[in-house]
Amino acid sequence: MKFGFDNGPHLRDSDNTSKIMKRLFVALLPIILFSIYKNGILPYMEGYTNFFGAIKPFFMILFGVGTSFVTELIYFRFILKKKENLKEEIKHSYGMFPGLFLALTLPLNTPLWLVVVGAFVASFLGKLIFGGLGYNIFNPALVGNLFVIASYGALIASKGGYLNPMELDTIAGATPLTNLSNINYVGTSTKIIGPFGNLLDFLFGLIPGSLGETSKLLIILGFIFLVVTKVIKWIIPTTYVFVVFIMTWLIGSINDMGIWYPTFHILSGGLLFGAVFMATDPVTSPTTKDGQLLFGLGLGLLTVLFRFLTPYPEGVLTSILTMNMLVFIIDRIGAKAKFIKRYRYIPILVMSLIIIGFSIYIGNNMPGESVVDDRFKIINVEEADNLTVYKVSQKGFKGLIEAKITIEDDQITSVDITSQQESYWSEIEDKNYIENLIDNQDNIEDVDAISGATISSNALKAMISNVLKDYEVRK
Amino acid sequence: MKKIIKWLMDENPLFVLCLGLCPALAVTTNFENGYLMGLCVMMVLLLSNITVSLLSRFISDHMRVPAYIMIIATFVTILELLLQTYVEPLSKVLGIYIPLIVVNCIILGRALSYASKHKLKDSILDALKIGLGYTLALGLLGFIRELIGSNTITIMDRISGLTGYVMKYEVFPTNDFIPNALFTSPAGAFLTMGLVLGIINMLRKGDVK
Repeated sequence: MKFGFDNGPHLRDSDNTSKIMKRLFVALLPIILFSIYKNGILPYMEGYTNFFGAIKPFFMILFGVGTSFVTELIYFRFILKKKENLKEEIKHSYGMFPGLFLALTLPLNTPLWLVVVGAFVASFLGKLIFGGLGYNIFNPALVGNLFVIASYGALIASKGGYLNPMELDTIAGATPLTNLSNINYVGTSTKIIGPFGNLLDFLFGLIPGSLGETSKLLIILGFIFLVVTKVIKWIIPTTYVFVVFIMTWLIGSINDMGIWYPTFHILSGGLLFGAVFMATDPVTSPTTKDGQLLFGLGLGLLTVLFRFLTPYPEGVLTSILTMNMLVFIIDRIGAKAKFIKRYRYIPILVMSLIIIGFSIYIGNNMPGESVVDDRFKIINVEEADNLTVYKVSQKGFKGLIEAKITIEDDQITSVDITSQQESYWSEIEDKNYIENLIDNQDNIEDVDAISGATISSNALKAMISNVLKDYEVRK
Repeated sequence: MKKIIKWLMDENPLFVLCLGLCPALAVTTNFENGYLMGLCVMMVLLLSNITVSLLSRFISDHMRVPAYIMIIATFVTILELLLQTYVEPLSKVLGIYIPLIVVNCIILGRALSYASKHKLKDSILDALKIGLGYTLALGLLGFIRELIGSNTITIMDRISGLTGYVMKYEVFPTNDFIPNALFTSPAGAFLTMGLVLGIINMLRKGDVK
């Protein structure tokens, strides 16, 4: 008797690939339609943009899907040298989805050629180069997204970033999470939620964000649909969101903020979209139940750490990619946990302790607004009769910004930057930001940060207001 | 032509043997750095191969490694001092990777496995083959990374003090092509290296069959 050898899976049920694909598409369709409405048609009807602006989101999605499709076509035809049933092959390897998900995670103002480049990178470098569907270790769409944001982030930001034409006009600043990180994570709800409406706007998706991530309601509906039709497992998204909720709730209550604070964290950014559509990708997520639980715990922990402890406000993308790397270890633990009890409880116990420990640590170390700025240092002060010269330093994006600030008759007359290592300094110089700050020194908090050099411009702002505060005390 | 390519590629240290990866990933941010690093390695390799093949019969077997390291280190130190004196900008960019040639496995490997067992002429030919292959590989990596990463090709810039010419060209018109800074960062080095390795392996597969 001869035995055949073949790779898994060996057990199949009646749900075939095209059925799963159709269900995924059904869950995504409302999100796609809403994003076209919110980013294209709504600004067009209100008269903020021309016809091209109205169809831009549709074209972004179309270009993403098309590029992914063509890439797979070329791969199957010319590299694997297959000739028949190319369409079936692409269908079975979910060929269109990297491009679709990529387009949905990109900011609206991404140029179309960049969508094409990103979709190619997502399909080719993220998936096909590993050997196609089932062999990729990273989520393809997120690889493409990381490529685009890491290399062309400043370009996108200079074109308006996440804001659609209407929001560019009405909302000063950036996405809710960037705003949160700018005000040091702690504040009243009017400062954190206020600029974008109320929490219902967050739920319905009328806030700035990437194409697909804003409408939380539709994402939740899609999640329920996908779980009921058994396309995705419910454990990962639920654990993920639950951990973020618990951690931000602890951080919030340590700093006297109500239940709105964790709700804000869940409803802003790409958290729900990432949890439902990205983290549950069957290829790059654990297959065992205990593994999925651990995966969700790790994702939640990493996302909160990225949001609070790094200058990058989002964190969902990075944490999913990081956890993708650990999937095979997690699955080993998960497989053992089926039979040995300590493998089930010890990792979860350890993770819970880490999660609670980090929440308390972050909660107690929030800088907030009222606390004295420890990034600011006075090097020396020279005082003449009506002239005061400060030599100060302020921590910026990369290193210390040092400056000589002259105050004449209670007014700052000049700010000479003596040394800096900022990455996006040219943005500051291009827009004469320092002159702008000097002109508006009496109400410096109202000066907007430069998008693309937010941290550097906020550091400059803080430096000048710190000098003024010190001058008041000295007088 | 085909023979030359085969001669260079058959035992290419970087793309086939996968040796000397550290400088290949670290210094190939532009074309000039790439091929000059390759030339430095080639000089040391040539001199050390000559010396080793001449001296090998006087060196007892269990003292081989320390003795060869001494020989290589001598040449590397000479090279380092020469670079510091005559082309200071270059030695600043290549930095630690020049002293690290001492422990570059290409050179010690060739000394142990080839030069100590072969005659002078064969050793010189071997050094040229490996050295040119390495220079070519580093140049290729530097070329790709610089082209995509900063839209320029630098042929002579840091060594212009020595040669008297500056040759640095912009390739595409700046309005049409926005360089991708990722490729000049370490992550881009891994990406380029992996892609080039993959393509070369794909081409070689046909050869072997």
